[in-house]
Amino acid sequence: MSAGAIPARSGSRGVAAHLGELIAYRHLVANLVLRDLKVRYKGSVLGVIWSLASPLLMMVVFWLVFGYFMPSAVPRFHVFVLVAILPWNWFSIAVSGGLRSIVNNAALINKVYFPRAALPISMVVSEMVNFLLAMPVLFVILYLSGLPPTVHALWLPVIIVVQLLFTLGVVLVLATANVFYRDTGMIMDVLLLAWFFLTPIIYDIAAYRNTVLPILGISAERFMYIVNPMASLVSSYRVVLYGSAEGPPGDPALNFLFRTAATAVVVLAVGLAVFFRASGRFGEEV
Amino acid sequence: MPEAVRLEHVTKRFTLDRGRPRAFKDAFVSLRGGRARRTETLLALDDVSLSLERGGTMGLVGPNGTGKSTVLKLVARILEPTSGRVTVFGRVAALLELGAGFHPDLTGRENIMLNGSIMGFGRSEMRRRLDAIVDFSELERFIDMPVKHYSSGMYMRLGFAAAVNMDADTLLIDEVLAVGDQSFQNKCRDKILALRRAGATILLVSHDPGAVRDLCRSAVWLENGRALAAGPVDEVLEAYYASVMAREEARFAAQHAAAETAPERTEDRWGSGEVEIVGVDLLGPDGAPRFVVGAAGPLTVRVRYLAHRRVDDPVFGLAIHRDDGLHVNGPNTLDGGLEIPFVEGPGAVHYRVQALPLLAGAYELSASCYDRTCTHPYDHHHRRFPFRVHAGGVRERLGLVHVAARWAHEPGPTATACPDRTAGPAAVGQLAGDTGPAGPDQEPSVAP
Repeated sequence: MSAGAIPARSGSRGVAAHLGELIAYRHLVANLVLRDLKVRYKGSVLGVIWSLASPLLMMVVFWLVFGYFMPSAVPRFHVFVLVAILPWNWFSIAVSGGLRSIVNNAALINKVYFPRAALPISMVVSEMVNFLLAMPVLFVILYLSGLPPTVHALWLPVIIVVQLLFTLGVVLVLATANVFYRDTGMIMDVLLLAWFFLTPIIYDIAAYRNTVLPILGISAERFMYIVNPMASLVSSYRVVLYGSAEGPPGDPALNFLFRTAATAVVVLAVGLAVFFRASGRFGEEV
Repeated sequence: MPEAVRLEHVTKRFTLDRGRPRAFKDAFVSLRGGRARRTETLLALDDVSLSLERGGTMGLVGPNGTGKSTVLKLVARILEPTSGRVTVFGRVAALLELGAGFHPDLTGRENIMLNGSIMGFGRSEMRRRLDAIVDFSELERFIDMPVKHYSSGMYMRLGFAAAVNMDADTLLIDEVLAVGDQSFQNKCRDKILALRRAGATILLVSHDPGAVRDLCRSAVWLENGRALAAGPVDEVLEAYYASVMAREEARFAAQHAAAETAPERTEDRWGSGEVEIVGVDLLGPDGAPRFVVGAAGPLTVRVRYLAHRRVDDPVFGLAIHRDDGLHVNGPNTLDGGLEIPFVEGPGAVHYRVQALPLLAGAYELSASCYDRTCTHPYDHHHRRFPFRVHAGGVRERLGLVHVAARWAHEPGPTATACPDRTAGPAAVGQLAGDTGPAGPDQEPSVAP
């Protein structure tokens, strides 16, 4: 950021101006992510190892539950769940944390100016970093479960970017709403639980392929993909890493991925517009 | 001179909490046809325009809750104006709350880096500043310790050091000069003065008139969201004090009235009652009663009495206490050489001060009437009449009294004789300051 003679004028500015400023403050986003990660592991003995250990421990739980107590017809069900629940956790933790990021940093917002979007964005990014840290462990587990990574795993960066854009959009809208209506956080805690079950994480969406919904005339599977981008994303992770009940990993359908990406971009655009429009009032509302 | 900060017809209206439904519950209530509740708003700033040139120093003065901090927050872009326009040229450092962005679990060093990025600096730019910040904060030994282990003084020092070493073009300072111990306070003050010399623009909010006068060349007096006066600092402060004094007059008047109508015998009033003190007035130079008087100004205390029977050789006394109980003086008519043969019926005694030597502060007056031996009280009001002394033109602030004196400077080797008033005006300065009516050699206007 230059301290030139360009006047900083308050008042409503365009989305482009806001984005430009955000880019000028990219170090702030980086430092906030760093802060989140540092603070998370400060005071814990194992530190960053927890990021690696938690998917491992989660898998042990799934393996016990679905292997012995509630056996599932899906082969290697623990892996089936794990490849879906890791991206879901990134999403749900980022949403519930990110939507509170403005209100929780009231002290900062009241005393210093900086692009407010840095707070929710850094929240989403630090959860993404956490997710990425767990990936190597996931690959080891896949390998040990007889699913060595295939070339199709190269789709992962694309899927991750799409999820990042979608999550950012959702968080920006909800963080704004939470400033004006503090109930947003409580409501989202419940909605996220419902969302979890409406997303094919612990079940196979293919089972609903032949269930035709009344009135709409499309299958339940299709309907879920249309209304729930997380369902599309989770299915994409599963396709490239686990495959399906019938076969080994493959490529996600291109038109399918493209539609999800387009949805994510639209959600992000709406999120940015809503957030930038309201962010000037955060200083007096939090 | 190019501008650094400009406010054009800025209005800021806050919607108070109750105004808008904060919870969905309220939204539902209003949806179902519940009466739309009236939005309560607070007009924090009402059409305020001001302009501060680059390198200028401006103080914002005014009572609490009149929009001073709102101006700072608008300039800092924490708030946006409801209408009007705020334009700021260059980088702004807001010293609104020191260490606002610090995270308790991070070390001092990590917090400095984070704080720098909050202000828009990159890592390499911050590394260059790191040493200067650590040096200034005097926290070398603790810099790699989480700030939650810092004392509050250390925390503030780090916050000040981090905020002030950012090469800001404009500094916004909100009553934060009281940081750490005395030596660090002086260091902060020196740093701000150094930045000012280096051409920084300063916008200061302070209740300490001394700080405003020392740091600022111009001032704006805000009251109820409006700029009542703007201009050179001395003029604005004078106008502001005139209004403060008027306000305090009203408050003290109520207290005096209460004291005069209070029950006759209480723990702060005693005596046998043959002579009753019915009222005590402080008279200003114009002879009108007042409760707020200017330091180094003329003052007359009038003690009104009513003698219910003839009393021979009474002694009237006064005492001044500072509000913390310090006994300042206790003159009486006997020591003062005024003989009063007798009193009967109503009357008054006057105690005339040519130049009140008290410094600004709150004081209390006692008044009494005793017999000639000063042992038997007829009536004694103990510290029942509060009054306030205002700095007026006196710049002295430390201690209790303002001694009328002159300073002189004699350059060259050992002094042989004290320079006296015959020396030129360049060598002699009056302690009372150039604007104050003071000094024993100046004839004050005496109250009738």
